Amino acid sequence: MMMLDEPYRWAEAVANRRDYIEDQLGSGSPVVGLNYRDGALLLTLGRGQQKIFEVYDRIAMGAVGHPTDIEKLRQAAIDLAHVIGFNYSEADVTLQQIVHFGLGPAMKTAFDEIVRSPYIARVLLVELEDPGKAIVLYTVDYDGGFLRTDKQGALGGIPEADRVMQRYLAEADTGRLGLRDALDLALRAWAAGRWAGQLEEMPNEASDLDRAADEADVTGVLRDALGSLEVEAAVLQRSRTRKNKFRTLASREIAPVISAYRGSKPAGD
Amino acid sequence: MNQGNDLFDLLKESGYRFPGGALSGQTHSSEAAFPFRPTEGTTILALRYRDGVIIAGDRRATAGNAVITDRADKVIDIDEVSVMAISGSPAMAYEIARILGHSFQYHRRRQLQEMSLEAKLRRLSLLVRDNLPMAMQGIGAVIPIFATYDLRDGRGKIFFYDALGAQFEGTDFATTGSGSPGIRGAMYYLNRWGGRPFAELDQEEGVGLGLRLLFTASEHDAATGRYERAADVFPSVKTITAGGLQDVPVDDLRRIYGDFVEQGGPR
Repeated sequence: MMMLDEPYRWAEAVANRRDYIEDQLGSGSPVVGLNYRDGALLLTLGRGQQKIFEVYDRIAMGAVGHPTDIEKLRQAAIDLAHVIGFNYSEADVTLQQIVHFGLGPAMKTAFDEIVRSPYIARVLLVELEDPGKAIVLYTVDYDGGFLRTDKQGALGGIPEADRVMQRYLAEADTGRLGLRDALDLALRAWAAGRWAGQLEEMPNEASDLDRAADEADVTGVLRDALGSLEVEAAVLQRSRTRKNKFRTLASREIAPVISAYRGSKPAGD
Repeated sequence: MNQGNDLFDLLKESGYRFPGGALSGQTHSSEAAFPFRPTEGTTILALRYRDGVIIAGDRRATAGNAVITDRADKVIDIDEVSVMAISGSPAMAYEIARILGHSFQYHRRRQLQEMSLEAKLRRLSLLVRDNLPMAMQGIGAVIPIFATYDLRDGRGKIFFYDALGAQFEGTDFATTGSGSPGIRGAMYYLNRWGGRPFAELDQEEGVGLGLRLLFTASEHDAATGRYERAADVFPSVKTITAGGLQDVPVDDLRRIYGDFVEQGGPR
């Protein structure tokens, strides 16, 4: 390929790739992860297609992006976890390994090889640490870049949405929340990310974005979204006696939290 | 990429070698190749009671005349509704149980659905067959009983295998191991003419019967252990019902053992 012989053209090709992928991801429904009193919660809204998955006994993931790419990444994570879990032991499977040795390199390779198609997806993974009360979260970007956080993690279609959601979550001491309050906060953080993802014009300065986000009508965004989308949520629940801590929340657990928004009248009516 | 969606294939790709075929190059008879007898004596039994399946096994592991331990666990949890109970070579049986447990879990996560009962049985059958070279050496035969709760049919099921991997459903009960000849006839008799068939027993009666049968087996088979006060180790007894797999707690075993085995109790 001629293109690859010239450094400038290569950089240009990478930039084009970024534009293309970010354009595809921009409208994706965010995923929110946070710790709560009994473990970790992952939440998103969607049109019925599953977007939050069990990876291993104490590891779960959610993603934004192309369904087939998400599926490939999910399977890669599960394969790696189970090979380690079998060859060593269940306790040896960690999220750090899955991201550092599995998803990160795979996504970077696909992104860097200009002749291959990249993964059009961003992934949020969460792990319940054992023993202890901590959780570990990783966001992995389409180019293989990853970020480790504890307590909270948020992933939208674009980095600005991540920022808005992270700020929203960071204000709360989520580790003290019960499940219902954690769900409520996650929903509102999701709506803040949704708001950022749908901005017609992105402020140039982060501080301007923060200011606009503080004034955003998060409740209104959430109410609109709940009109057409379904809430999907799962927990890694520490108090579960089984080895396997992953549990998808039933609609009866979610319904009381969203009814407050569904019932409320739009402002100005 | 792992197209077959099977953990066993994926493990082999990653360099894992199933030990069951490890000695397949050898053609010596078992006695010549392996002069001492491996551990294989035991008694395992499973019976269908009112709420599902009770599965019980003694705790003794032997090699020839030597008792290796009286604390071996031969009833192994595979998933939330299934157990595999083993007679035969513990090393191979544990490996097979481990592969099965991990495979079922892998399947559920990767395919986003539980593996069907038929497929689970087939996986076990293939592993037992893959283990044939070891079985032929006379040192690694594994003859499992697989017990599970079929959520579709709403009833407990018991399956037993031969060393070649052929699978049979034992409708009301199954027993295997060196002590099993001593109780198979008793089980048939009790189920048919004992007053009430096993399927009508409640959990307490079923567990009591299982403990009695294991005791009976140990009366005629030196390789089957029994409860001894000094060691205070009870047989492994588990129940499988619609609610899942559960160990019968030691306190319950102690009480039921007292009522049924020592006192002679009801029935």
